[in-house]
Amino acid sequence: MPEPRDVFIVCNNIDGMGGLQRWARHIAGLFAARGHRVTLVGVTRAPEPHPYEPDGSFTEVVLHDEWRPPALAWRAGTLRKRLNVAARGRDLWRTAGVRRGAGRLSELFARAEPGAVVIVAQVWAMEWVRSADTTGLKVVGMSHESYAASRSSSRHRRVKEHFTGADRFLALTAEDADAWARAGMTNADHMPNPLHVAPGFLAPGSVTPGAAAPLGSPVVASVGRLSREKGNELLLEAWERADARHRGWSLHVYGGGPQEDELRAQADAAGIAGSVEFRGVTSDVEAALTGASVFALPSRAEGFPMSVLESMAFGLPTVAFDCAPGVRELLDDGETGLLVRPGDTAAFAAALDRLVDDAELRRRMGAAARGSVQRFRPDRVLDRWERLFSLLHSDVPPQRSPAGGEAEASRIARPVQ
Amino acid sequence: MRARPDVSVVVIAYNDERRLPRAVGSALGQSLGGVEVVVVDDASTDGTGDVAERLAAEHPGRVRAERLPVNSGGCGRPRNVGVERSSGRYVMFLDSDDLLDRHACLNLLSAAEETGADLVSGLCARVHLDRGSGRVRPWYPWLYERRAVYGSLRDNPDMLYDTLSTNKAYRRGFLEGRGLRFVERLHYEDLLFTAEAYLAADRTAVIPHRVYNWLVERREGAQSISNRRAELANFADRLEIHRRIDGLFAERGAGELKLAKDAKFVNHDLLLYLRELRNRDPEYRDGFLDLAAGYLAELDPRVYEAANPMPAIAAYLVREGDREGALAAAEYGRGRRPEIRAALAERGGRIYWGGARPLEPVGRRVLDVTGFGFHRRPLAELRPANTVTELEARGRRARVAGRVLNPLGRVAEGAELRGTVEFYDRRRPSRSGAVRADVAHEGDRLAWSADLDPARRIRPLGFADPVWDLRVRISADGQEMVTRPSEGPESPGLDGVVLPVRPRLTRLAGDGLRSYVTEAGHVAFRLEGRRPLSRLAQAAVHRAARSRAGRSAWRRVRRARHTARRALTSRGTKVMLFNRVLTRLPVRTGSVVFESHLGTRYADNPKYIHRELRRSGRPVRAIWSYAASPKGFPKDAELVRRGSWAYYLALARAEFWIDNQGFPDGLRKRRATTYLQTWHGSAFKPMGYDQQHLKEGAEGERARLRRMVDRYDCFLVRSDHDVGTLARGLGVRSELLAAGYPRNDPLVNGVDGDPELAAEVDELRRTLRLGDDGRRAVLYAPTFRRGPDGRPVRETQVPIDPERFARELGRDLVLLVRPHYLCGADLPPSARCAIRDVGAVPDVTPLLLIADALITDHSSIMFDYALLDRPMLFHLPDEEAFGTGYFDLTAHAPGPITRTEGELVTALSRLEADAPAHAARRRAFVARFGEHDRGTAARTIVDRYFPERPARGHGRAAGGRRRARDGGTESRRTGRARTP
Repeated sequence: MPEPRDVFIVCNNIDGMGGLQRWARHIAGLFAARGHRVTLVGVTRAPEPHPYEPDGSFTEVVLHDEWRPPALAWRAGTLRKRLNVAARGRDLWRTAGVRRGAGRLSELFARAEPGAVVIVAQVWAMEWVRSADTTGLKVVGMSHESYAASRSSSRHRRVKEHFTGADRFLALTAEDADAWARAGMTNADHMPNPLHVAPGFLAPGSVTPGAAAPLGSPVVASVGRLSREKGNELLLEAWERADARHRGWSLHVYGGGPQEDELRAQADAAGIAGSVEFRGVTSDVEAALTGASVFALPSRAEGFPMSVLESMAFGLPTVAFDCAPGVRELLDDGETGLLVRPGDTAAFAAALDRLVDDAELRRRMGAAARGSVQRFRPDRVLDRWERLFSLLHSDVPPQRSPAGGEAEASRIARPVQ
Repeated sequence: MRARPDVSVVVIAYNDERRLPRAVGSALGQSLGGVEVVVVDDASTDGTGDVAERLAAEHPGRVRAERLPVNSGGCGRPRNVGVERSSGRYVMFLDSDDLLDRHACLNLLSAAEETGADLVSGLCARVHLDRGSGRVRPWYPWLYERRAVYGSLRDNPDMLYDTLSTNKAYRRGFLEGRGLRFVERLHYEDLLFTAEAYLAADRTAVIPHRVYNWLVERREGAQSISNRRAELANFADRLEIHRRIDGLFAERGAGELKLAKDAKFVNHDLLLYLRELRNRDPEYRDGFLDLAAGYLAELDPRVYEAANPMPAIAAYLVREGDREGALAAAEYGRGRRPEIRAALAERGGRIYWGGARPLEPVGRRVLDVTGFGFHRRPLAELRPANTVTELEARGRRARVAGRVLNPLGRVAEGAELRGTVEFYDRRRPSRSGAVRADVAHEGDRLAWSADLDPARRIRPLGFADPVWDLRVRISADGQEMVTRPSEGPESPGLDGVVLPVRPRLTRLAGDGLRSYVTEAGHVAFRLEGRRPLSRLAQAAVHRAARSRAGRSAWRRVRRARHTARRALTSRGTKVMLFNRVLTRLPVRTGSVVFESHLGTRYADNPKYIHRELRRSGRPVRAIWSYAASPKGFPKDAELVRRGSWAYYLALARAEFWIDNQGFPDGLRKRRATTYLQTWHGSAFKPMGYDQQHLKEGAEGERARLRRMVDRYDCFLVRSDHDVGTLARGLGVRSELLAAGYPRNDPLVNGVDGDPELAAEVDELRRTLRLGDDGRRAVLYAPTFRRGPDGRPVRETQVPIDPERFARELGRDLVLLVRPHYLCGADLPPSARCAIRDVGAVPDVTPLLLIADALITDHSSIMFDYALLDRPMLFHLPDEEAFGTGYFDLTAHAPGPITRTEGELVTALSRLEADAPAHAARRRAFVARFGEHDRGTAARTIVDRYFPERPARGHGRAAGGRRRARDGGTESRRTGRARTP
């Protein structure tokens, strides 16, 4: 067992209902189970808090009950902007707010014992950590999306601004870390998300679900928010082209979101409504996945998709657009799933048909996926974290006696050869 | 056993007390905790040793200082001692004048532990401290694109390019077990050490992280060892190191690796020295070339094929003793625009570097530069060398003259020659003073000369423009090339000629331009003042400009100027003014803005609509947009450059927009303007929203397309196929006009009734040298395609080897190669008799008319050519590379489909015989895809939008538009109903 440490995990918020909060609570619990003293810090509260069951193993702290100043720091580019007194005032208000929150963080950090680590899961929260006193602690920044996704938003600049000084900066995959390294972030490394399945489903002592999906029912499933970046309309387009729907197979779309009505209309217009079921948000991912035989991920952008991790754990073969390094990292094309060119719905349909047609292939890929996902077992991912902590906090071994040192130095002064 | 630190950093120093603490600091400040530093002082004569000991005292247990009793003269010995005296599990090297990145140790260590590698290497960056704000140049970045693990050097012999020992971490057990040590008493010890290490490592890992900062300071006097290439002994050392590496490879039986290393020697080491040779004294040059030729003679001749073409030529010519040719090859590729400094010769249909000399087989292979395209590239892309033969100032007059190479006689004897000599400000090349020059052929070169009154022609500002460059423009029959006069064997002394000038600001800034020769050999001038007062003034201004305040003020001025210029001339500003101001000006009745392929040419549907308007004598004001050059556009039209103010003004006030691709995004079309979108071809490949990249892409891309398409008032279609594919894919919601394509009218009607087009076709036949020998013309027009890396393939390859085509088919056929307009064709001169490049012909319709047959793949040209009812071949060697189309081409192709070169040759030889067999399919193809092409498209459109009126007046345009809304007999409202 490694030495217990103080671990602080700082997020924008810890009570929202998103992938990041799920990850944060999961990893906090895992660290705590290894004996670390874990504090989960949210900078502010989520706009729509989710009632998480309190987990007694770690502490939860929220810095600001409400954050009303502007979200981002003011960037005065042009002369005209610089003369904008109102904006300047709002920024001062914001700075004072950050300083107050950072003060609370400093108090938390001051109570930590040597060897403590701060994990900053999002770049917005990093501004608070940067303003806090982190003497004696090591700061690890994280980016929970692909490099390309950061690149096309303001986060690329903010990551470079705020995380450059961190002791380590973790992307989700090696490919993303390389991209960050090429962009000049020399502290870039990678850390996968640990396998996460519904609580209570893990058999004691085991880390993967007890039962795999039987792969018998003629169902293709997709799980995810119904929003544009998840590409559900592409899935419907592919489904329209696929032969599978003519052979008694149906498509189960789990999840809700802004696109729902649009998608229903699309299915009706395409005449495929009969074989597509919109099943809404589900809390029972297990039932959803074990009731299917093929998993489909039509996303346009992904980080390290949790849904694929889960489908692999249940032994489902996956068809996905090759849209991000995280997807490539999880799925080995042709072995544990089928990857197709992003946006190529014809190829997506062909890949679905290939799996639908071939029960043996489904079984083989499903079994391979179940094996492959072991790489992301919580204990393996935790080992990687602990190794990082110990490298960051390592020190040169105790020095030799001064006398010995001197004697050696005088010996070296002679010619060596 | 004592616990070891994770990493030891061996810092070597010699007489560098100033920078040593900084280097050690970078090792101590690592994000990895367990780093030990060993400083080895190579018996410095200054306080370096004391500094090292002070650092050791300040950081007990983390820093140790070692002193060599005698100076070793190199880096090898101190590093060896450092390795012996350190104890870390991994060892790294750092020079006292450089810096480690803060995360270097952690990155290298974790990569080593994850991969189990003996040796991990990261990116090294050269940081230039003297050039402004620390410009950074990564060192061989292509080796460090992404992390990788190599089992042995054979997996990636390119690692041999990175010969630095410093950007790496070595496992101690590996160094000790393999007995790896630096060689002592020779320079370039790194080369041998890294070669040995790469070869010995069972596993080598690379990471893309920058780990090492190589700080480069340009200082007078003491240069660091690696830059002291001026000494011949230095080069001898390098060769000795290379011979030892060769021995090492020979010992290990690594012949292929040796070849890779030799290629690297040619590409990198030799080139480095050759490029500096021009500025060396003759004694050094001779000695150097002897040494190099001696070493090159030892190498396997295969190296000339393994190395890059130009360095290989340089090396080959060094071996052959052709010094000028070698230098010219070495210098080609330097700078943004490579200069041709050697003679070129054409022999047997190939182009050779270095003039006409009998060649042995190896030489013929090495010196073949046909692939560079010197024989076919436009003159403007060639930069032939220009040698100054005269540069004099006599009183107030000056005279300058020189000779320019005429590669391959590209400038013909009878060509009309004109020239200008231009002096221009290096910082702002657009500021120049020019004088006319006399140009004439002189043997195989062009001689030029100019007399000028410098004080009148060249007006420097003073202070802000201290350096002036010289260029000579020569135009031959309207084709222009730009050359830079430089120093050559025939040059007189080019240093120190002073041309009198009068700076505009004040005479204190100087009174003359003094000539000098730049490092690259070009002639340039410095503004100087010879009077003591002006020297003082210049020094003062210089000092002020270099001061912190001066620099920041200068930066502000530059930025303000940049911002102002951008604000005034940017596209955004123009679009904004277009939408808010220009479109409020009254519409100019009868004005039509035409644009074809974003202004690149006078061609396609807009051209034929314009011709019909002209033919029928409609009183319109035609305005054509051109992208780069107005050449080839009609003289009777008003021409505006795309993107200029005049362009936006013309668009804002136009009554009609007629275009085949798209007017700039962001322009809001006013209601009074009618936009006729003709488009440029029926679709086989997915278009618009059906394209994969639009499906995958961000919402912005789709919104942009929607904005552009929603401006259309009318969209031309040729068949129902267009309605279901093109119009649907683009999301066209305007009226669809089923008139067919105006550009296809001549394909249906022939040219007999159209003398203008007939003349155009005859002229084209003449320039293509067709039509006097009874050979039939076959047009090869492939579509645009992407390579395996997803990038567009820019060089179109002819599907049949040119020589084979000439041999087997050349008697009966001439091949016209038409690359996609984004590409070029790579044709050797030997193909000249049987193959013609028709990529530069702006309009494709006359080409279709003279082609007796067509070879294509997925290009939309098939839909047009089918109207001619002539033989068509479909050459689809790698159909998967294209992706899927709107229909199954193999099932509907109106001609044979070939997959291999052999099949294509056979099909071409049977053109006549096979033609009847496909006649029915051709007719079916036309009926399906060109049902509305009846030869009346241009007339239909003109009659509809430009109806003849008894008198000119304002009502006409409105009438035209009303009709358009009502929908004429030819049109159908299908748009909205068909799009989902």
